[in-house]
Amino acid sequence: MKIFRNPDVMWREEDEFREQAYKGLDTGEDVAEIGTSILLHSGKMHSLNVLGTEIWKLCDGKTPQEIVSTLREMFDVDEEVLRKDAGEFLQNMKEEGLVYEE
Amino acid sequence: MKNDLIPSSPLTVNWAITNICNFACSHCYSRSDTTEELSIDTVGVVLDKLAKAKVFSVNFGGGEPLLRKDLLEIARRSADLGFAVSMNSNGFLIDRDIARKLKVAGFSKVGISIDSPKPGVHDKFRGIKGSHEKALSALAYLKEAGIETSISSVICKINIDDVDGLVEMALSSGVTNINFHNFKCSGLGLANKDILDLTPEEWRDFYIRAIELKKSVKNLRISLEDPIISQLVEKSNDTLVKGSVCGKLSLNIKSNGDITPCGFIPMVIGNLRTDDLADVWKNSTVLEMMRGKTAKGKCISCDHYSDCLGGCTARTLALTGDMNNPDPHCWRHDS
Repeated sequence: MKIFRNPDVMWREEDEFREQAYKGLDTGEDVAEIGTSILLHSGKMHSLNVLGTEIWKLCDGKTPQEIVSTLREMFDVDEEVLRKDAGEFLQNMKEEGLVYEE
Repeated sequence: MKNDLIPSSPLTVNWAITNICNFACSHCYSRSDTTEELSIDTVGVVLDKLAKAKVFSVNFGGGEPLLRKDLLEIARRSADLGFAVSMNSNGFLIDRDIARKLKVAGFSKVGISIDSPKPGVHDKFRGIKGSHEKALSALAYLKEAGIETSISSVICKINIDDVDGLVEMALSSGVTNINFHNFKCSGLGLANKDILDLTPEEWRDFYIRAIELKKSVKNLRISLEDPIISQLVEKSNDTLVKGSVCGKLSLNIKSNGDITPCGFIPMVIGNLRTDDLADVWKNSTVLEMMRGKTAKGKCISCDHYSDCLGGCTARTLALTGDMNNPDPHCWRHDS
């Protein structure tokens, strides 16, 4: 099962907030509340934090396992925790119509 | 998913590409505006600036955008830069051929102004006989051409008793959206306020009915972009910001390139011929004030202030001179 971004979704990264989040990660701060990207779809807006943004960017035909493996290289998080969080997030995005499976 | 940031640049830009108009609307806010227009080359420069700032969508208005002879070329350039391109029009000039050309030029959505299901009422309000019939024809041609359509209705005395009729008209014309615009007191809207604007209680009753329709009507999106309805609805996560979206998610460009927070706030905060969009967005003191409003009067004790943020900034500023005052349309009484 591969995950793809819905091409109808308009999105962009917020460079300033992205930089702020990565600086926070380096110093061990909680950056979960910093939105680093904005998605707009069907009149609804979403702001994703740094982990959400990276998952979103990896939805280019990768499987959930491939996404988790790539995230493991980027973030110092336990694999089981990452698998659970990423799984819930992908399910949420699927329900919102932001991504689709093939 | 997070829900608490002011983006680094607007997501949407509303652009009065010309102020020339073939109508004579009773509430017009732009008739007295400059008729100066940017050349096609300067339009290209502005579009490049919007693209550099990663703006999502450009919505052309005016005036009547179709009276700008190079509109199709402007739309094509906009679509080529990756913007979602849309327009608000009175529909009078849209026939089958124009609708097809708009589609080819890259328009994905077109909104047509219709203020009443009754042709005579609409025609009188817009100042042109036959405009209702033309507007409905335009919607049909646009749909046939594959463009998503919507109806924009300015709610005021002429249609307050016809809200259900407006929704029925929208359903029968096959649009995806009907936008109920709250009456703004700008331009002729201010001069004709006493004749056209509703009382706060009438606004409350209108929104109660509109929200009922929004919940019950299928196959039609009903948009009510007025912060004061936070008193009547559950909290929504559909937007990133609270209160007015102007200056937080969107900006307005006038026909001469001047930047204003929205089309109804006549405060020029820059000009895109010379200024950088992201710079104006980040450093404008007017935008800073709009993003950091302070409760005054009855807003201080209101439980809904954190969602409403004092209501429509444009209306409040126009009618009271202070954007921090309570929205004059708000029906809540001071407790």
